[in-house]
Amino acid sequence: MTGLPALSYNTMVVAVGVASVGCAAGVIGSLCVLRRRALVGDAAAHATLVGVALAFLATGRRDLPVLLAGGFASAVAALGVLVILRRCTRTRDDAATAIVLGVSFGLGITLISGITARGIPGGAGLEQFLLGHTAALTAGDAVLLTLVSAAVVLIVMLTLKEATLVAFDAPFAAATGWPVTLIDYALVTLVAVMVVVGLPAAGAVLVTALVVIPPVAARQWTDRVGTMLVLSGMIGVVSAVIGVSISAVVPRLATGPLVVLAAAMIFGGSFLAAPGRGWWSRSWRQRAVERAWTQGRLLAAAAEASAVRGGCFTRLEVADLVPGDGLRAARQFGAAWQTLVREGAIAAAPAAAEARLACVGAWRLTPMGQAAAAERARRVRCWKAVLESAPQDAKEFLTIDLPAPETLLGNERAAEVA
Amino acid sequence: MSVLSLLTAGEGMHAWAIATAATVAAGCALVGTLLVVRRMSLLGDAISHALLPGIVVAVLAGGRPGGVLVLAGAVAAAMLTVWLTQLFRSAGGLAEDAGAGVAFTTLFALGVVLVTAVAARVDLDPGCVLHGVLELVPFDTIPIAGFEVPRAFLTAAVVLAILVAGAIATWRWQVFTAFDSGAAQAAGVPVAAVTTGLLAATALATVAGFEAVGAILVVAMLVVPAATAELLTRRLHRMVAVAILLGVGASVVGYLAAWWCNTSAAGMIAVVLGIEYAVCVLLSPGDGLIARLFSQAWFRWRVACEDQLAACWRAEEAAAHTGMAPVLRRSMPGGSLACGWLATTGCLTRSRRGWMLTPRGREQANMVVRSHRLWEAWLGRHADVPLDHLHPPAEWIEHHLGTEVRRRIEAEVGLQASDPHGRSIPPEP
Repeated sequence: MTGLPALSYNTMVVAVGVASVGCAAGVIGSLCVLRRRALVGDAAAHATLVGVALAFLATGRRDLPVLLAGGFASAVAALGVLVILRRCTRTRDDAATAIVLGVSFGLGITLISGITARGIPGGAGLEQFLLGHTAALTAGDAVLLTLVSAAVVLIVMLTLKEATLVAFDAPFAAATGWPVTLIDYALVTLVAVMVVVGLPAAGAVLVTALVVIPPVAARQWTDRVGTMLVLSGMIGVVSAVIGVSISAVVPRLATGPLVVLAAAMIFGGSFLAAPGRGWWSRSWRQRAVERAWTQGRLLAAAAEASAVRGGCFTRLEVADLVPGDGLRAARQFGAAWQTLVREGAIAAAPAAAEARLACVGAWRLTPMGQAAAAERARRVRCWKAVLESAPQDAKEFLTIDLPAPETLLGNERAAEVA
Repeated sequence: MSVLSLLTAGEGMHAWAIATAATVAAGCALVGTLLVVRRMSLLGDAISHALLPGIVVAVLAGGRPGGVLVLAGAVAAAMLTVWLTQLFRSAGGLAEDAGAGVAFTTLFALGVVLVTAVAARVDLDPGCVLHGVLELVPFDTIPIAGFEVPRAFLTAAVVLAILVAGAIATWRWQVFTAFDSGAAQAAGVPVAAVTTGLLAATALATVAGFEAVGAILVVAMLVVPAATAELLTRRLHRMVAVAILLGVGASVVGYLAAWWCNTSAAGMIAVVLGIEYAVCVLLSPGDGLIARLFSQAWFRWRVACEDQLAACWRAEEAAAHTGMAPVLRRSMPGGSLACGWLATTGCLTRSRRGWMLTPRGREQANMVVRSHRLWEAWLGRHADVPLDHLHPPAEWIEHHLGTEVRRRIEAEVGLQASDPHGRSIPPEP
């Protein structure tokens, strides 16, 4: 690998720090996204500027731990205000979040530019907390970030059962005696911790991305909470490493946005290609259902036509009986016809039939095609009976998965209907 | 320096800056009201972040800041955000906030990377896009009819005119869609087009604002005045007017305060908006925290007084059975204050052995006990509740029943009925 410059000590430090932050943010973010509080971190992140500026004013020094402690205090205060606004005013959730975000950010900007305008020594670089400034990370800072991240991951592992329960069914959790409000506060506080720890890596504006994008990407791949947490942490680590590496090679580019873009690329890939929930997989399933449906309609129409014409039919007659117009419907009909011919459900009729119909290209249903058409007709009759007797049940099942109608109808009744 | 001399200093420099901020605030308040009532505030947040890449690409393509090309680029970026959010929701099953979070952070990161990658070629600072430099607005002017008009003000004024015209043209549709989009759709309103129009308007207002006050403070201008106005009034057109007033007022006060403290004007405007909101949360008549606390305290006081009267009434009733003196010896917790108040209003009198009802107090106590027992009788008849569970709900509801409700309950349980404990229900005085 002579093409890449050897990673310098400084790059390694930055990589370790950012990767541990990415991992822990991904883990805690998963719970947050599952609890539908994805943008709580956003409000907290914008509020950190106030605390950073106040901590600097109070101590007059630019120690990372001191500034981050200030940022944490103001993030928690902002979340407290958010809770009060939601509980005690008519303002709705989304507006309350936007108010806390906009006003606290304005206050932070006011404080920081006041500090800058007064020329207080050391205050010039506070604006770097807006967009992050990883290059200034020292080894000590990286150790701090790693320790805090490890602590957050540990807490999540210890309280995973409770957090999962609250995320999926808060009313049930409350009814069985779990302190839902307390768990919610703990979750939000942990998010505030991660947002603050992520500040040096991604900055106040982009740190939300570390909490939202990896979990959402991980969600595409799995339906299990544990797997999602692990995947999300891994995606956080991978995107951190990619971002830091690129910014080490191209020194002009800021690390934070690159980490976010790397995470976004992983999300884009997951969104398209994940099995089950991915875009391609979904549209493929959709097309499969459409194909099966068209074939069924075609078989029914063929059976109907051959009943009328004494065992034979032309393709045109069948096409007339299948509902749907337009190019798309015609193409689907053509594809279904070819499939059925290939599978041997429809076959060319003997020449005598052609002469009897007085046309070229007569077809007939093979015994296999007749059996398939009869089976489809039976299922349709059963489903009609289900819809008539228990429409609610049928509706529920239709949205989940199509079961055999016998499961809803009972075998005897199904036989009776058929 | 007084405010007046400040405004006229430097050829009206500060006046121009204030006028720009006020124009932006008016446009934002107009759009923001609809966003807030439609619960789309966070989309405003997402759009304002996501403008950055659109602006950068437009500048790279040769647009001038504030020019038509940049405006178009920003609106395109905003629409891209909205489209991505919808796509993630419909095709990926993501919640709206998570989808928006993914879309706008990605676009913003893209914008920052673009800016830093081509920083030498464009005159854009991502920090300034975020928090704006209102103070520099008056220095970039173009001459119009002999006056040097700041370009940012011109942009903001044109955008405001477009927004007002659009609002007047589509107001009925917007209101209908905002309050009942299903009914609007059924009535033939093009709901999708109306929503798209609102989002485009949000993008326009944000673009006009980002140069003067920065992308994120635009969120404050969009949402805070509207949310404040919502606390003060419940009529939509009044809400718009109040929101515009609040936004413009905050622009003026915020700019002056920032000049006074020598700090960022845009940040200070957001802070003033926050103060306006906080004041309304505390002081709003009816909905404010203080008004609520006051009405809660008043209610508790009324309950304490009524409980005291009812206790005296029951003591009298018991005395009528046992032949002992009709007095209340032990008052309830916190009741002595209430007793004192009732004595000064002439409902109770103090004898040597305790508190006694006056005729006026007896009449009031009668009504409380009547409500209590009527409710117990009604519950005993209609709800499957054991006898010893009838008291708590009646104790609670006795303070809420009016004459009309009492009359109807009595008509249902029967005139001569007694309560389930066998005590008679006192008649209406």
